[in-house]
Amino acid sequence: MRDFLLGLVFAIGGGVVIAVAQTYPTMPTLQFGPSLFPSLIGAGMVIGGLLLALTQIRQLKTAMADRRLPSSRYDVRGLLISLVPCALIVFYILASDVLGAPLCMAMAMIVLMLMRGARLWLALVVSIVVAALIYWLFSSYLLIPLPEGALFAQTSPVGITASPLRTLADAMEVAHG
Amino acid sequence: MADFLQGLAMVFNAQTLLVIVAAAVFGLFVGAIPGLTATMAVALLVPITFYMDATPAIAAIVATSAMAIFAGDIPGTYLNIPGTPASAAYVGESHRLAQQGRARETLGTNLICSVIGGLFGTLVLVFVSPTLAEVALNFSSFEYFWLALLGLSSSIFIAIGSRLKAFLSLTVGLLLSTVGLDMMSGAPRFTFGVPDLMAGINFIPVMIGMFALNEIMMFYGTKTEARRVPVKATDSVFSEAPRHLRKYWRNVLRGSSLGTLIGALPGAGADIAAWIAYALGKSRSRHKEKYGTGHIEGIVDASSANNSGISGAWVPALVFGIPGDTITAIVIGVLYMKGMNPGPTIFMEGGGQVYALFTVFFVANLIMLPIGYLAIRASKVFILTPRKMLMPVILSFCIVGAFAINNAITDIWIMLIIGLVAFVLARNDFPMAPAILGLVLGGTLENSFMSSMLKSNGNLLAFFERPISAGLGALVILIWLLPTLIRLIRRSRHQPSLEPSENRGPHDTP
Repeated sequence: MRDFLLGLVFAIGGGVVIAVAQTYPTMPTLQFGPSLFPSLIGAGMVIGGLLLALTQIRQLKTAMADRRLPSSRYDVRGLLISLVPCALIVFYILASDVLGAPLCMAMAMIVLMLMRGARLWLALVVSIVVAALIYWLFSSYLLIPLPEGALFAQTSPVGITASPLRTLADAMEVAHG
Repeated sequence: MADFLQGLAMVFNAQTLLVIVAAAVFGLFVGAIPGLTATMAVALLVPITFYMDATPAIAAIVATSAMAIFAGDIPGTYLNIPGTPASAAYVGESHRLAQQGRARETLGTNLICSVIGGLFGTLVLVFVSPTLAEVALNFSSFEYFWLALLGLSSSIFIAIGSRLKAFLSLTVGLLLSTVGLDMMSGAPRFTFGVPDLMAGINFIPVMIGMFALNEIMMFYGTKTEARRVPVKATDSVFSEAPRHLRKYWRNVLRGSSLGTLIGALPGAGADIAAWIAYALGKSRSRHKEKYGTGHIEGIVDASSANNSGISGAWVPALVFGIPGDTITAIVIGVLYMKGMNPGPTIFMEGGGQVYALFTVFFVANLIMLPIGYLAIRASKVFILTPRKMLMPVILSFCIVGAFAINNAITDIWIMLIIGLVAFVLARNDFPMAPAILGLVLGGTLENSFMSSMLKSNGNLLAFFERPISAGLGALVILIWLLPTLIRLIRRSRHQPSLEPSENRGPHDTP
């Protein structure tokens, strides 16, 4: 059943790719241009997707003939839980500018650890230490301008001027627009 | 000679050696923890290697991947759970041995076979690739088009499981490779007005999404399992190994050469090498009946094969820029970023770079002996490291690592979306290796096709006019026809086929 749906998704996606590709300009000297490869890939997706869906139809039919409905009972809870890491990434993307990278990482890690039944104090200690380590490694050693958080840049008693590393990170942030 | 010494100096300095040791220990951890693969280890490592020189960066990747493949045997032996998919072929056998109290003996033999396999693959790399490179120097866009197509085709036909799904997985990778400004006309494609997408999609966030985020999601989707080490191991690590090696030296050689060959085939990595070597070893063995009862022979074959596959995969990656497995697919991205463009010229350029590269392979494989020995003695530490504490840490690394490549939030989004897509596809048994190959080779395929067409004024027959090009083209067509031929032969023989896919986990990367 899922293969059937995935086949359809591929076929429809391929159709969209072909349609978008037709809008690309053609090369003056050749009869094909930048639209050729996307169109071929799209065609591959359509054909492959339809084949996948069709092979599934046959199986679905035999399953129906057996009077046994395909067991589509799905582990919805498991699926939702496996989406939590993605939700936390979205949280990081949206919140890191305000809260800063270390805090966001620590919060995400605590949530995930507690979800799997880690002890609270252990989760707290590990995620704070790891977040600080990662932040230090990437921003001071590898010079990646990880967001430090607007909230802390203003209220932090250390301040921007106190740390030369921070000014360097800021300068790089400006340079990267 | 001066170049050679310069190459040695690039490896034997404190920084590079320290990097090798640290990377080996990192690979050990990742490999020994079930659910974390060698490819994931390398993908997570890349953002850090980004800030190193070329030699230590490559050293880190080689050491990590070689060590991770061996370390996958540790939980396989103690828990019957493969640490990486490359160990899946023989976990049953090695766990049986562990139950007989021979865990350390098994792992010790394993370790020596891994080292020999890795060194064998390295020797092939050292002696074969410069010769191949001289041939490749004469290649034009016609040959590169066929080579890219050959790589993509073999990634589909070698895939275990549904070829149709492998093909669809490939289209995803190819589609991703078309994003950005078109090389020929400069027209933006599939950029959706996002400026960061103009330069195309970067490999690294895709790899992190596909191999790390995907695994994290898999982990949270499954139920928790408490783990403890059920078997005690007090036997000696290396004392029995010489006896096994004397008895089974043919298996070591066969496994290593088979592994190197399979590793060099695009799309097939250490896991497939191990499966095939194990099956071949069994079919050629004089003691077939002992397999499955705790017999070390098959383990010798397969554990030599998976490590030689890791080295063998570098041959096409360095000579042609066509990755032999998912790890070298990442390597190609790293090489480009380091300004060491993969291709035959890598062997022609002066300086010690090539010698440094070869030396790194020897050092990284030899360092497995002491570190592996310590790891076998301290196996419990790796097995009992709780994944519930580790997976969140890996998630943080994913986010920061994806961001670090271009300092762009867009890359985190790419990682997230690719991770979601890979999760859906992998849960439905789509292999991931063709997608990665499609992404890496898509640009080569399209650009070599387009420039060939410009050269020949749109004459498609030009692809068969040069001798090597025609030969490669014939090979591609042969590979396409192969499944039909095999089916015909099988039908005439009425033999049931061997399907190793029964015991495989959800991964398809080494």
